Order: sequence, then structure tokens, then C-alpha cells
Amino acid sequence: MEHELRYAYYPGCVSQHMTKETNETTRKVAARLGIQLYDMPKASCCGAGLLTDYDYPLYIAINARIFAEAEAMGMDILTICSTCLMVMSTANRDLKADPKLLADTNEVLAKSGLKYSGDIEVKQLLWVLAADYGLENLKKQVVKPLNWLKAAPFYGCHSLRPSDALGFDDPEKPWSLDAAIEALGAEAVQYRGKTKCCGFQVDIVAEKTAEKMTGRRLLEGKERGANCFVTPCPFCHINLDNYQGLAEKALDTKIDMPVFHFSQLVGLALGMSPQELGLGRHLVSPEKIIK
Amino acid sequence: MKIKFRIRRYNPHDSKAPEPYYQAYTVDVTEGMTVLEALLKISEEQDSTLSFRKSCRSAICGSCAMTVNGFARLTCNLQVLPEHSKMGEMTIEPLANHRPVKDLVVDMTPFWNKMEKVSPFLMPTEKTAQNAVTAEDEEVIDQSQRCIMCACCNAECNSLEIDERFTAPAALAKAWRFVGDVREGHGVKRLARLSEEHGMWDCVRCIHCTQYCPKGVAPLKQIERLRSAAMKAGILDNPGAKHVEAMADSVEKFGRLDEAAMTFKTLGFLKSLGKIPLGIRMELHGKMPHPYIVPQIERIEEVREIYKEIEKTAALKEKKKE
Repeated sequence: MEHELRYAYYPGCVSQHMTKETNETTRKVAARLGIQLYDMPKASCCGAGLLTDYDYPLYIAINARIFAEAEAMGMDILTICSTCLMVMSTANRDLKADPKLLADTNEVLAKSGLKYSGDIEVKQLLWVLAADYGLENLKKQVVKPLNWLKAAPFYGCHSLRPSDALGFDDPEKPWSLDAAIEALGAEAVQYRGKTKCCGFQVDIVAEKTAEKMTGRRLLEGKERGANCFVTPCPFCHINLDNYQGLAEKALDTKIDMPVFHFSQLVGLALGMSPQELGLGRHLVSPEKIIK
Repeated sequence: MKIKFRIRRYNPHDSKAPEPYYQAYTVDVTEGMTVLEALLKISEEQDSTLSFRKSCRSAICGSCAMTVNGFARLTCNLQVLPEHSKMGEMTIEPLANHRPVKDLVVDMTPFWNKMEKVSPFLMPTEKTAQNAVTAEDEEVIDQSQRCIMCACCNAECNSLEIDERFTAPAALAKAWRFVGDVREGHGVKRLARLSEEHGMWDCVRCIHCTQYCPKGVAPLKQIERLRSAAMKAGILDNPGAKHVEAMADSVEKFGRLDEAAMTFKTLGFLKSLGKIPLGIRMELHGKMPHPYIVPQIERIEEVREIYKEIEKTAALKEKKKE
């Protein structure tokens, strides 16, 4: 690395609570790799798409306030939640493309003495490792190549679309998670559902749709020989892991597929123990595939 | 450049081969040739039995949508060489989420039925018919008017893949075309119907529709507009709206998402009870979110100030309109 990597760290609500294992692992991985994460104590929830439904100007202003905090820190945002990534990137795209929207939003922020100039970028851990840090560099840090894992990469919708707001992976042919899995020594399994949806957004609104969708994605990977799934998104993780039992019931079949957060797969290859990675918090035990 | 096309063939009336199969054709592709032009070349020079829909060749009629290398594309609007160099293959299949009739032709009946269900025409009252449409009013429905009914969005829709009764993005975007029109007289009634099961709240926000719409309709954006409008019209007694309302409350109160409280508020007491067995398993793994213990963010008053300001601005705008 030519320069220091420093980011305003935005783990997202769900990884401070339900999926805190990925937040804790990300901090350990970053420390090990020399990536500096700075907390954002004022940052609110991005709205997870639901605030967008509620009121568009409110959604934009709430996100602009988050950006203003990062801008004042002089850093880009690093998140470990794909939904936060999509929601923030979409707001950032709109604010940067529309000077009137930026001005109107700043008028609202000004009441609290805040301002956003449109100068920050939003990234996720996966992209930071794939591009800013570099997979070649990551490879050099691997102490335990994961050569027994056949991992199904599950990008999650919000890491890929809308591509005009995210602008990293090609949504038809994404590479970052596949390449990262290979860099850690595992095999990236190719399957149909790799770029598709887990159904999280309707988990409690249209349960049956969500359960069947989750199950279908897991089976698509299993049929192609995957012995685990890997996702950069904590919401996808909740569906694929926590609710796998519901998916099994909905489809009346046994799936039994361990699911890693992307951060955990990196940690595993860096030699961290299952305890350090919080693997005991998973509902589908990854024990049988841990060496 | 010679390129191999792998095309899904299907003819249920062919007694010798009634099941789908893939057939390969090699096409001499020239710079700028579209996928549709390549298919026409195959049909004219190699195999006249290959069936597919097409008409205008100009991305206006919406007839030639197919699955190209796994994604719904308007074939007259997609060049072979860049697509092939990116994907490394050229596999053509009928649109997903629709029943194939023969080769690349699908049955569009469910698509039209869904469209018909949202009453795709203006229903003004005597009074609303008098409303003048300003440029600003037009802008709100502009994207939704661009639809050419190609069904790319429905073919890509993850929710429709699982639930065939879902109204799906094409019809929902069309619904906004009329709900969002200042001359419409029955918007609230429409919104109430669209808020029912299999309606606007069943969208999983996979963003495939917006990504693959060849005309920039951005169906998800129109679905978001429908949802906002429904909530502003007071249509709140459904899980989708309750879920959003709970989120808006949670952010205003704590600055954060309170998962447990949101589940409870969305489902109500009785339905939340059904979540207890899973909740116990989650608790054992330390995964159960506990309600109302979410720590507040610093400077929450700034978030509340934003809520207040936005509400004020909206009220002012409303007043101006009157």
C-alpha cells in the first residue's frame, strides 16, 4: 500500500446488534491489515430503504447528515452492510447529480449547523479489500489458505444494484467477492442465484415469499456443490443463516448450509479462531467445515 | 467474427422432441450487429423454424425482450460483440417468470392481466379533470410514462419468481402513472387496493426492475412513490405501511433501527407470539434483538430537527398548492 487507509466506519444498525459478530470481526481484521477505522458516534440509521418509502426528502436529509459527519472527519465511509451501502450510495448519487436537491437539503441541515458539500464516497469492506487494499496484498497476509472450502458467493442485491449509484461490480458479471474468495484460498462456486435476492425486505411483510426465496438461493448453491455460503451483507446473513430453518420448512427440505459473513472468511484465512470470529452465534453451525 | 449462439429451443407440439433443449448456431457477427439482427440472420440463413417475437427493431415496440446470458434484455437494443466480450458466451432463452409457448416466445397473458387489474387509464372526477398539469406535475409521472410493456422488469422480478400473484413492477409503475396524475379522481381508492396482499408492499427491493428496464422507467422508484402516497393518504392498516412507520419512529426516537420493536409493531401482539420458538433459538445464540434497549446516537436532536424541518417544508408546499 502506498498510503494509509483510513475510513469513517459505519457498521450499520443491524451489525451493532443482531449480527454484531461481523462488526467485531471487521474491527479485528482491519486492525490486523493496518486499515484504520474511525467511529462515527453521531451517525444515525440510513433508513434501510424504508425511509425512502416514507418520505424521499427526509431520507435524503438523514443520509446527508451522515455524509456531513464523514466529510468533517475528512474520510470516505466504509460500511459492512450492503443495504446501508445501497441506500447511502443512492442518496449520494442524487445529491451529487442535483444541485437543487443538495441546496434544499443543506438548508435543512443548516438548522443544526451542518453542511454536506458532496465530497465523500461510500464503500464496503469487500470493495476496500478488493481495490484499495488489493487482493494481492491480502493474499500475502493469508496464514491459513481455505482450500477445503467450496464457497458460494452471495453478493446480495444491494452490493450490485443500482449500478449507476454503486459503480463497482458489474451486476451481470460481478468479480469482487469471487476474487476475494479465491485470494483466501477457497473455491468460488458458480450458481444461478449468486446475484439474486434473499428476500429480506419482506421478512415480516410477506413471510412466505421471503422464506421460499431464501431457501431457493441456498439450494441453488448447494446443487452446484457449495459447502458454505459467503455474503458481505448482514441482512442476507440473517435470512440465509437465522431463517434457514424457516426456509427448510417452507420448502419441506433439509438444507443445512453454513453461512459466513465475508469478514469472517477473511478472519479465518488470517488465522483467527472460531471464537474470535463469533461463529458460535450462527444458527446453522459451521463447525463441520472448520479446520 | 464468428460467434456461437446457444439458443433454448422448445416445441411442445413436436412429438419427437417435446422437451426444451439447447441448439447451437454459429453466426458471422459484424461490428454493431444487435442480438435481434443475429437471430434474424439465423432464422433467414440457417433455421426458419426458430421462433421469436420482434417488430420495430428500434426499442419502441417492446416485442423482442428475451433472456440474454441470464438477464432480461431488449435484443434490438443490445449489441452482440460487447455483450459477448463481457460475458464470454451468447446464451439466448425466453423471458423468465413467463411460460414459454415456443422457443423464445412466451405467454404474455399474465402480464396483460396484471396490467388490466390496475385500471391503466385516467379516472378523473368532474372537478379533478379541471386541474392544470404544470411542468413540475408532469415530471413526477414522466418516468412511468416511458414504459413500452416489454416485460423485462417482470421477468427479472425476484418477488414474482416466488409469488406469481404479485402485481409486479410493470403494473405498479403503470399504477403510479395514474395515481400520480393531478387530474386523477380516484387515487386514494387505487392506493387502498394496491396496498392489499400481493400489492405494492410485496416488492423485495431487489432493484432488478430498475436495473434492467431498457427505457428508464425505474419501476422501484414508482413503487416507492406509491408507498409514500399511500401512507400520506392514511392507508396504514397493513404490515408494509406499519413496518415503514415503525422504522420512521425508531429513527426519530433513537437514531437507530430497533429490530424487535419493529417486528412487534408490524405484526401486532398475536402474530408476534408466533415468532417465539425462533426467538428462543436466536436467544440461545445471542441473536435475539431486545426491544427498546437500543443506545441512542450522539446529537439525536439534529435528527429530530431534520424531521421537523422536512415536515414544515412539506406543509408549506401543500399550502402553496391550495
